[in-house]
Amino acid sequence: MQAQTVIKIENVSKKFTRSIKRSMAYGSFDLIRKIVGIPVNRSLLRPSEFWALEDVSIEIRKGEKVGFLGENGSGKSTLLRMINGIFPPDTGSIRVDGSIGALIAVGAGFHPHMTGRENIFLNGTILGMKRKEIESKLEEIIHFAEIGEFMDAPVSTYSSGMRVRLGFSIAVHTKPDIMLVDEILAVGDLAFQLKCLRKLADFRDEGGTFIIVSHNMQVMRNSCDRVVWLESGKVIESGNVDLICSKYEASQINKSYADEQSSQQFSKDNKISLDPQVKITSVELLDEADNAVEQLTLGQPLTVKIRYNAMRKVLVPIFAVSVHNGDGQLVIESYSDKEGLNLKEIAGEGEVVLKLPKFAYRPGIYSFTVMLSEQTQLRKLEWHEKSYKLSLINENLPINQGLTYPYPNWSHHDHRTT
Amino acid sequence: MPNQMNNQSVTYTAHGHASISIFGAAAKLIRNLTRHRQLIVQLFRRDFIMSYKKSFIGVGWILISPLISVVSWVFMNYTGILQPGDVGVSYAAFVLLSSSIWSLFMGFYGSGSSTLDAGAEFIQQVKYPHEVLLFKQVLVQTANFSVGFLLNIVVLVILGVVPTLYIFAFPLLILPLFFIGAGLGLFFSLVSVVATDISRFATLGLSLLFYFTPVVYAANIDNRFLNTINQINPMTYLIETIRSLIFFGQTEYWGQYLLISAVSVLFFLFVLRVFYVSESQVIEKML
Repeated sequence: MQAQTVIKIENVSKKFTRSIKRSMAYGSFDLIRKIVGIPVNRSLLRPSEFWALEDVSIEIRKGEKVGFLGENGSGKSTLLRMINGIFPPDTGSIRVDGSIGALIAVGAGFHPHMTGRENIFLNGTILGMKRKEIESKLEEIIHFAEIGEFMDAPVSTYSSGMRVRLGFSIAVHTKPDIMLVDEILAVGDLAFQLKCLRKLADFRDEGGTFIIVSHNMQVMRNSCDRVVWLESGKVIESGNVDLICSKYEASQINKSYADEQSSQQFSKDNKISLDPQVKITSVELLDEADNAVEQLTLGQPLTVKIRYNAMRKVLVPIFAVSVHNGDGQLVIESYSDKEGLNLKEIAGEGEVVLKLPKFAYRPGIYSFTVMLSEQTQLRKLEWHEKSYKLSLINENLPINQGLTYPYPNWSHHDHRTT
Repeated sequence: MPNQMNNQSVTYTAHGHASISIFGAAAKLIRNLTRHRQLIVQLFRRDFIMSYKKSFIGVGWILISPLISVVSWVFMNYTGILQPGDVGVSYAAFVLLSSSIWSLFMGFYGSGSSTLDAGAEFIQQVKYPHEVLLFKQVLVQTANFSVGFLLNIVVLVILGVVPTLYIFAFPLLILPLFFIGAGLGLFFSLVSVVATDISRFATLGLSLLFYFTPVVYAANIDNRFLNTINQINPMTYLIETIRSLIFFGQTEYWGQYLLISAVSVLFFLFVLRVFYVSESQVIEKML
């Protein structure tokens, strides 16, 4: 039997105004119309207005863990606020069955001169708890926040981490039917983050429904049953977590690739020639079928083909390739002389080939630097700094946040005697 | 475990509260205030007690500013700059009570006008009924006023003016001031989000209204211009009635007072309805 629907979002649109002055003017105009009882047609866009969400329909069932995925400005947080009842839809409707708790503004309303204990009562009440409920959970909240000895000190004496821990602890103890979570991993230190995730897992195991907004794919993959991918206010796709996370990552990588191709940082002109008689004439990244590629699926073979033209004899040439990921970390460095290609000399036109049997790294954009030296690494002839790009996407491997994917193979050996 | 007892169901649409009547608004207000009374108390505690926690003089400030104001009016009267007309009691006593009543009215206005601002830090993050902020502010104002007012009565007695028994009806007598002040404030709380200039004009207008209301002079002042304005100014009848009842136990304006009181209730409910209909769409402009 299918679980009961607890959130039903039907054809919801929400518009905002780009210009502050126009926003204020429309606000005044709408307010006057409301005062005199003239209905406002909210389904039409006026100049400077845009749809932050457009015709969104989502149904969430009791006990589901749903992730909202999307870039900044895709409408995730707006949708979260609308489910929470803070912004009304401009068209459509949102029906919510059950109480909602939001791990969004942890510590909202804290007064710096009040003690932690006093602030628990204040903040807990703001979040909808009754005094008796707070009293019964007080010790649990204090224990979870790990600020026992500071409980009766003013919050102004707390570190920012302590303040956030206290805010989170209160919010997580409100025990709603539906929990809205915005970027949970931004809370506190690692130990506290793990504790928070564990608390969410308990909430999930006990049948709670939660919606999480995060840029962290690992959180999405580990916490959600279903992901909704939003882009420019529209639902692009909804369903399987791994599939949609992979598609989303690929789309992000493609976008970044396009941006980087056009940016100066990755200009193909970033090539230094120190000997006018020796040139690297082309560098190609090839897939398994020897086709030049700009995008590769994680784990596939990759070939780097370097063509040169030497108008003089180059003695003991050394070719080198280094690869950096999007964060600027060096993931590959390979020198021809150290890895099996001991050339005595080159002259005229020719090519060298570097084969990488499995290019298995975290999905992202990789930049290739190609160098040619003579006799020693110190005597560089040509240097193409991060001049070649490859976007690496994942199709179906359970890749995590590690830099590489070494095709792990786990096994278990039970040493107990039966 | 999620709260299984909670079977609340809510549907949000574009025109959620568009059809609410003024009586529906009143019912909703009462319901929300009852349900969230602990929140009002907690917010009141935060704002009232904590505002004096770092001060050495503490609640003493409640007395200092009205007393300085009284001293300045008395000084102007003593030097002849101000000719208030025949006020019937000592001018110091007259201006002490009158300015207290006026400051209470302005306090109600301030409470209303800061309704949305008072919760700006979490108004876009947490869902709760925003009218609790109005009543929290009113409680803070009333608490500040009450401490000062009790001491003002002592000062009145010292000045040789013993208040009549109507002093015990004071909380009821000031209700129309609450409905007008809080209503105006609540309305401009909405307006200030979308049209800051207009709400600033409103604040200036109320400062001007002080001079066009017989607060620091008698209602029957010997000035044709002021007399004409006072006659059409509803605040005249409210201030004069409360003051006369406390000083002399009688008033010639009962009729006007009761009529204005009734209108003030309707005005407050009308503004409350506007608030409910518009608040969510105004709040999104606070982004």
